[in-house]
Amino acid sequence: MNYTKQIQDIAAKLFAEGKIDVFVGYRMNGFDDNQVPVLITDPQDVSKLVFTDKSVFNLVNYLKSDHTRRKRVGLVVKGCDSRSLNLMLTESQVKRQNLYIIGIACEGVVDDAGQKMQNCTECVVPDAVVFDELLGGTLSGSLTLTGSKPYQVNADVTALAAMPLTERAAYFEEVFENCIRCNACRHSCPLCYCAKCCIDQETATLYNGANTTSSAFHALMTWSLHLAGRCVDCRNCEKACPSHLPLHLLHKQNESVIYENFQEHLAGVIPEDRGAFYKYSLKDPDDFIM
Amino acid sequence: MEAEVKDQLVSIEKPGLIAPPNWEPVIMGILCNWCSYAGSDLTGTSRIQYPPNIRIIRVPCSSRVDPWFLIKSLQTTADGVLVSGCHPGDCHYISGNYYARRRFLVTKKLLNFVGFHENRIQFSWVSAAEGPKFAKVVAKVTDDIKKLGPLHLYKKENFEKK
Repeated sequence: MNYTKQIQDIAAKLFAEGKIDVFVGYRMNGFDDNQVPVLITDPQDVSKLVFTDKSVFNLVNYLKSDHTRRKRVGLVVKGCDSRSLNLMLTESQVKRQNLYIIGIACEGVVDDAGQKMQNCTECVVPDAVVFDELLGGTLSGSLTLTGSKPYQVNADVTALAAMPLTERAAYFEEVFENCIRCNACRHSCPLCYCAKCCIDQETATLYNGANTTSSAFHALMTWSLHLAGRCVDCRNCEKACPSHLPLHLLHKQNESVIYENFQEHLAGVIPEDRGAFYKYSLKDPDDFIM
Repeated sequence: MEAEVKDQLVSIEKPGLIAPPNWEPVIMGILCNWCSYAGSDLTGTSRIQYPPNIRIIRVPCSSRVDPWFLIKSLQTTADGVLVSGCHPGDCHYISGNYYARRRFLVTKKLLNFVGFHENRIQFSWVSAAEGPKFAKVVAKVTDDIKKLGPLHLYKKENFEKK
């Protein structure tokens, strides 16, 4: 998967035609073969752009910044990124006419060790679902309830759910204990765009010592429940986490419960679909309520 | 003899921790204004006895209940949470409790996933005319949570600097 040439050509063309002010893409980080996101405003810098299977980050996150707000933006999206972009469009965070979207028919990205990322091996919507131009083939068939492939519950979630309650509690206590409350997960999430966040009520400060396991539990649980039905499993949060917490466990657990009980589409697959918590069915399970 | 049995009550999530003698659970009750809160009022005015362990908060509708409320209650004082609203179809705001129902299921499953016993988070539909049912629900929830022992997971006071 290497679209470097095509993306450079398209970006140069867009700048020449005056269609965009900013282009959001990837460049080499300069000291090893990993890549970092880059915002380009000068047409001469277009040659810096690259796209290979090391282009891991979700660039939709940069539509939240002041550098792109109210400007005409060109950006590159993979399958998962395009789903989060779809949700941002539905939730009126960005305007479609300001965007020029280069969609990628993604074959999966790799981590630092060269292994295919776990969410890419499980991915059910590899092709971009919203784009002006699609690189690497056309959409294969119509999208079903789960995208273009059958849905499977995450293997880590199944393994944990089978463990006894006390072991699971001990496992998650260790997870929350390792959280340093830097809020990188929230800042890296394209769908966390609130100006004021309710989890800041327990902000870690030098004075009150609120950087505790308890406050991490409060923050991560609230965060994941506010993203339930919207998380697109791009794993930007996990890539950003300095403590390498398995944050996907919380999101995938919510996703599997929503998929199994409400038979909803995966988040962001269908345009104008706001996610499972913005609608209801009279047939929703009721047996857990007295 | 009975007191000794009570001394042996352990927290189900952390079997190493034993409940103090004569321990009573604290239950956070979040009730919808139009049905369950009126129902609990009827229980009181009808002089029906129910356990005093429940601490009631009134909300405009069960869909006002953010999962955050449950997390905050479990993190601070509560050993269990009861959320109660109107029966399906009876919502004062037409469909609030249908939206709430979806959120409750996901919240309950996620809290169970990270290690809380499923009986610590309970939901019920109680209408304004169901005073006796409210008393039964509170009795059952209190009974369930007494069996589970005190909640020791992620309690704020356990982590605060002395």
